[in-house]
Parts: sequence; C-alpha cells; structure tokens
Amino acid sequence: MDTKISVKNLDAFYGKNKVLKNISIDIPRNKVVAIIGPSGCGKSTFLRCLNRMHEVVGGTITGSILVDGEDLTKTDPVLIRKRLGMVFQKPNPFPTMSIFNNVAAGLRFNGVRNKKVLAPIVEKSLKQAALWDEVKDNLEDSGVNISGGQQQRLCIARTLAVDPEVILMDEPASALDPISTSKIEELIFELKKNYTIVIVTHNMQQAARVSDFTAFFYMGELIEYDKTTKIFTNPANKKTEEYVTGRFG
Amino acid sequence: METHFDIQLGKLRTRLFKMCSLVDEQVQFALRAFEEEDVSLAEMVIERDKKVDKYDVKIEKICQKLFALNQPVAMDLRLIMSAMTINTNLERIGDIAVNIAEGFVRIKKKPAYLEKTKINEMAALVKEMLRNAIDSFIQNDPKLAEKVIRTDDELDAFNVENHKILIEIMKEDKDNIDSAIAFLVTSREMERIGDHATNIAEDVFFIVEAELIKHKYEKFLFTQAEEVEKEIDAEENENGGDD
Repeated sequence: MDTKISVKNLDAFYGKNKVLKNISIDIPRNKVVAIIGPSGCGKSTFLRCLNRMHEVVGGTITGSILVDGEDLTKTDPVLIRKRLGMVFQKPNPFPTMSIFNNVAAGLRFNGVRNKKVLAPIVEKSLKQAALWDEVKDNLEDSGVNISGGQQQRLCIARTLAVDPEVILMDEPASALDPISTSKIEELIFELKKNYTIVIVTHNMQQAARVSDFTAFFYMGELIEYDKTTKIFTNPANKKTEEYVTGRFG
Repeated sequence: METHFDIQLGKLRTRLFKMCSLVDEQVQFALRAFEEEDVSLAEMVIERDKKVDKYDVKIEKICQKLFALNQPVAMDLRLIMSAMTINTNLERIGDIAVNIAEGFVRIKKKPAYLEKTKINEMAALVKEMLRNAIDSFIQNDPKLAEKVIRTDDELDAFNVENHKILIEIMKEDKDNIDSAIAFLVTSREMERIGDHATNIAEDVFFIVEAELIKHKYEKFLFTQAEEVEKEIDAEENENGGDD
C-alpha cells in the first residue's frame, strides 16, 4: 500500500482529558478514507489533528503524524494547512467576498495578487469542484448568494485553489439536500484521482458509497480499520457490526 | 431495545421457518405417497403447493421492503440476501414435490421391479439432506451445512445408478416403459432437490461465516473434508449418535 499519511500512537488531549487513545493508522494515497463512529468518539478531533487545527482549539497531542514521511508535529502549521486542506460541515464562504475572491482567498493570503495569474486557477478550481458552469457568469456575485450545495462546492474550490495534497472533510454534506449531497459525493469520486481524502461522516450509507477504506472510532479508540466493503459486509469486530447495523450509537 | 427493523427481521425469519417446514413436509408426503401407494396423499401435496407459492410471495415482499427501507449491512445484509435465495430454492423444491406426486398419481402403483433400483435409498437420503439443510439454517450451523454439501455427490451417484438400472428394466420388458420413465423422472427430481438443499447449505455458510462458497465447494471440501468429518463424528458420538 502506498501510504500518504502515517499516524503512529497518536494521543490527543483537551487539558488532561484524553480524547484519542493510541491511534495508529495508515492512509493510502489517492484513496478515500471514511471515519465513522458515534458522537463524541473522537472522529472530528482526529481529523483536526491531521492539519494541526486541534492546537487552535486548545488541544495537545503526542505521537507522530507523518505525511510522505515528514513529521507534521515539527512543521509550520500554516504550511501544513496548505498541504492538507479542510472542508467543514457548514458551508462557510467569506460573506463579504465575491465568488471569485472566495476561491482566490487562499492564494491571495499566500501573496498571489495578479488577477491574470489568479483567474485561470480560480476557473480550474471551480471546474474541479463541478461548480464552474453554474457560476461562470456571476463570478462577481457574493459568495453567500448561491444555494447551500453550491456554497459547499465553492468552499471545496477554495480548498483546491491552494493545490493541497490531502482534503479533509468534516461532514461535508450533512447540511445539504439529497441532490447537493449526491453532487458532493460524485465530486469526491473525481477528486480522489488527484488527492487523498479523509472524510468524517455520520451517514453510514455515504461512507459505504464514497470511501475505499473505513475506520470505526469508539470512545477515542480506533476499533476497526479495513476496506469499506469488508466493514459493511463482514466486520471483524462485534462493536463495529453493532454500530453499522444501527444497534448502538 | 428491539428496534422496528429487528421486529421486521424477526418476522422474516418466522415466515421463512414456516416455509421451511411446509416444504419439508411436502417432500416427505410426496415420497411417502409412492412408498405407501397413497394416491390421496399425493393429491394433497399437489393441492397444497398453492400455500407454498403464497409464502414465497410473502417472503419476497418482506425482503423487498427491508432492502428498500433499511439499507441493511453486515449480518443483516447477509441474512436478507440469503433469505431471498433460500426462499427461491424452497419454492423450487415445493414444485419438485408436486412433480413427484403427479408422477405417482399417473402410475398409481409401485411396480415390483422397484426393489432392484436405488429409489428407496435415494428417497431416504434426500429427505435427510433437506432436513439437515433446513436445520443448519434454523440453528445457524455451518458444520451441518457442510455435511449437506458433502452428501450431494452420494445422491448424484444414486441417480446415475437408477438411470442404468431403469434402462435395463425397460429393455427387459416393454410393458415397464411407462412406469420406468416415471421413476427416471422421480430419480432426477430427487437429485434436483439435493441440488437445492446444497444451495441452501451454501447460503447458511454465507450467513454465518460471510464466505461465498457457491460453485467452489469441491475445492473447499477437499481441503477440509477429513478434518470436518472427524469433528462431526466426535460431536455425534458425544451426542449419543444419530437419534
């Protein structure tokens, strides 16, 4: 397996409270890994550890997270977040910015100001996010004047514009209607050709549909990690079986 | 807490168990009809097939609903998938029981030459196979399912032997042709019941072990047969034999 991210013995804390316990997991390149588990199991914390957002909310970690062999805990967090982009549960376009400027925001933050340079990147990112055809004539409209599903794809385009290696998605479709959800899921299929994707989801069917591998977290522990087909047809662990069949959690 | 889904699954199981015992009874009665030369019993089997068909439709509807409304996974998925194929196999066995019964209604009497064939031994074996296949499903017992799969070759051999014997009987006396053809068909039908019982046993294996052994059980059996045989023998001895 060609590993993109290798997590070893990861513990995560809020103060003295240990919320992730000894997590070791290898995330393969250009694959989609779904993280599932009941509320409070640590799945979002795990995702935030991967791009060091966990520190921003006052947490600490021990253990190692290697991306292509490079230890993230010893790297500048700003650079890490460029390499590991994040899409959140609720679409959060910058409300005062146009669609164009929303996508260009990350690049501008990194010092790219020339519109001739920005324009093709914005177009490419919006195309990758399957949004270009819907907004190409209204690029100067506000980023919040489009539908929720479009806003979420706009946020994905914003993430793609800075050319990340990994996309972390925290419940990216939970606030969307079924049609928008299906668009996001189709997008994930397309994106995995070029990116490694880690997605946290409460929607088991969504995990089954979009991911290649699934990790089941429970009370801060990684209970089972295997191919998605295996997890949803014949999980090895009884707890996993009970969770995916809806018998607890 | 038992969920609505669990209740529906329980309902599926109950219906399927009822279908199992109904079809088992149909086969027992159809074979007893010619063993005891009981035409009215054969006619009852033919009449009762409507009930088998009704169960078939009911079970299929429950499965359809469970799939559409619950998107089952893991053990639930395996159970519902298998319930559908077990149901189809049972319905086919029910049809075969009718064919056997109809065959006997046509000839009405057991010819004397039947003692020379393996029809009676085959009937005893096929009843045992079907009963074991059903029990393996009800008890979630993959070992018993394996036993069913292993027995199928024995049943096939009986069928081949019957074929040879009945052809000889037809050659000896042309008056035997009509009845011998009926028994050729009966022998073939029993062999088909064995195939359906084997399919059910394969499904039991899938439900319990999550392993699809369909069409590759020969390989599976050759590698494990001896070991399994010993285990089964030991268990049977512990339980005081076959009673």
